[in-house]
Amino acid sequence: MKPARRLVALAAAVLLATAGCAGAESGASGPIKVGSVNALSGAATFPEASQAAKAVFDAANASGGVNGRQIEYKALDDKGDPAAAAAAAREVVGRDEAVALVGSSSLIECEINNKYYEQQKILSIQGIGVDPACFSSPNIAPANVGPYHDMTLTLLYGSETLKLNDICALLEIAGNTLPSYQAAIDEWSAITGKKLKYLDATVPYGGSDYTSYIVKARNAGCKAITVNPVEPDSIGQLKAAAAQGWNDVTWLLLTSVYSENYAKAVTNAGAGVYVPAEFYPFTDTASPQNKDWHDLMTKNNIPLTSFSQGGYLAAKYFLEVVRGISGDVTRESVTKALREMKPITDPMVGTPYVFGPGQTHHDNTAGWPIKLASGTGKWELVANDWLRIPKK
Amino acid sequence: MLQGALAGLAAGGLYAVLAVCLTLMSRLVRVVNFAQSATGMFGCYVAVFLSVDWGLPMWLATIAGILLGGLLSALLGWIVSTWLAEADTGTRSAVTVAVLLLLISLSFILFGNKPQPFHPILDGPAVTVGGVVISQVTVVTVALAVLVAVASRIVLSRTPAGVQLRALSERPTTAELLGIPAKRLSIAVWAVTGVVSTLVISIVAPSQSNDATSLAMLVVPASAAALLGGFRRLDLAVAGGLGLGLIQGAAAQVDGLSVVRYFLPFAVIVALLLWSQRKEVWDAAR
Repeated sequence: MKPARRLVALAAAVLLATAGCAGAESGASGPIKVGSVNALSGAATFPEASQAAKAVFDAANASGGVNGRQIEYKALDDKGDPAAAAAAAREVVGRDEAVALVGSSSLIECEINNKYYEQQKILSIQGIGVDPACFSSPNIAPANVGPYHDMTLTLLYGSETLKLNDICALLEIAGNTLPSYQAAIDEWSAITGKKLKYLDATVPYGGSDYTSYIVKARNAGCKAITVNPVEPDSIGQLKAAAAQGWNDVTWLLLTSVYSENYAKAVTNAGAGVYVPAEFYPFTDTASPQNKDWHDLMTKNNIPLTSFSQGGYLAAKYFLEVVRGISGDVTRESVTKALREMKPITDPMVGTPYVFGPGQTHHDNTAGWPIKLASGTGKWELVANDWLRIPKK
Repeated sequence: MLQGALAGLAAGGLYAVLAVCLTLMSRLVRVVNFAQSATGMFGCYVAVFLSVDWGLPMWLATIAGILLGGLLSALLGWIVSTWLAEADTGTRSAVTVAVLLLLISLSFILFGNKPQPFHPILDGPAVTVGGVVISQVTVVTVALAVLVAVASRIVLSRTPAGVQLRALSERPTTAELLGIPAKRLSIAVWAVTGVVSTLVISIVAPSQSNDATSLAMLVVPASAAALLGGFRRLDLAVAGGLGLGLIQGAAAQVDGLSVVRYFLPFAVIVALLLWSQRKEVWDAAR
């Protein structure tokens, strides 16, 4: 299939050249420029997404690029700082004239830059979208599920599969994320008809001792706690519960804690930590679903994390769409192709990916349930299929 | 409320131990040591590294980490007492701010910014009284706070070395002219407080979030506690630490107050300063 396609492309190029149209398109033979804005330094860093995207593009370049053109990929740092995030976007979109943004992963980038992308008529396939703007902007469509649907999924798993009542939520709210989490919880309530026992949205990020919050939850009679934590905070919360001798609490957490490091650091996980993984669980290394990704990451020494899965998929989706463009690859043509693309199915995710013409892009609604039990030090799969948010 | 207050007691004990160290430093070597908890954090991180990457047994790695914390502190003491022997308290303390930032950055560079896989030395509840759980960590930190304060008190008032130390802090130049080995004694104080703060952080770190910043910044609530005793009185420093922990724990139980909880140390610092400076006239206090 591929050699045939390359032949067609070659034939088309020859035809174009002989017809004397070669000069009609500017930069038709130069590299295709693609950028991304990432948290490479600062309080929380996710370098793997853009590293993974780069690995995909490098492999594509090595096998001839896209229609004979190489992809020039640039990953910029937003330093966790709004000004730096804005400057990075302007560098890649304005100065380098990138055709699209692929594989970005940042805590603030969508919020800061989504309007600018609309102005510049450029689309971004976010590797990992975190802040609410990633899922509510016309020009950004992340490859991942996102923390909000993930929260709905983790609650669904807790209440419907584990049959837990008395679920409490301890939310760590940064910036303007509370309404989005509230909407996610409301969605769970609408599907199941159940309510949280209580919600505490005052849990601090980077707190040192969470004992008092844990005590409060225990006294309120919570059987399970859902949190949207970063790794160190979650470890602190689990340890606070263990110190109180609260060993029958179930934790319904998000993909943000799904890592080897976390599993090693947790000695007492109560009645278990459950997470709906946003991509097919990477700890299942022998799985055919992850094989291509796994081989590419190990070859390039990129950490096996959810972030590198997101970056890898974003780059793959982009390549597939761009390879289908007939004619020159420009910002306009890439934008048009993404808007009109057919859904792409991949075994690493439960929902086919489509950018599409929508005003918002929050369509990835499946996670794969995994569990970390006390004393095991490793994640295990607890389902044979994706858990999905039911269609309304 | 009571359960919440007692839940805050573990943190309170930690603040109290650090506050005692800060008070000792301020009294005996004229330094407000901002790097007090950062040296402890660094010692702990090295201990985790030794046990995870070098495969040392946990107890041995912990002891190595505690000794390293003492060494770091002693090195800092040597620097301060060599080059800033005659400088005022403000200048000597400013050096420790630089060290605080250096240690945080260094731990990011060496160990990354991911949480460390600490394995708890003490884990789980110690006693349950009428539905109120008191964890092992709480018992140990509170006992340690009282123990350190009492031991320092005895050393300072009953031993020759203590008398020499007090002489040094009151009249440094006179004491030196009398032949008291000033530098050696100061460095010993630095080393001891370094060991004590690393020890208490080693006990507490596995039972809470343990990223470098939050551990190093424990110096803020500890300073608030030490301020209650005006950086002079050990008993009030202990009381301040335990009290602050209790208040923080209780405040987290009330929805309306839980936001305030993290500003409490700062609020306490401001309130104590206003109170202690209440008799100052503008001209003299400036």
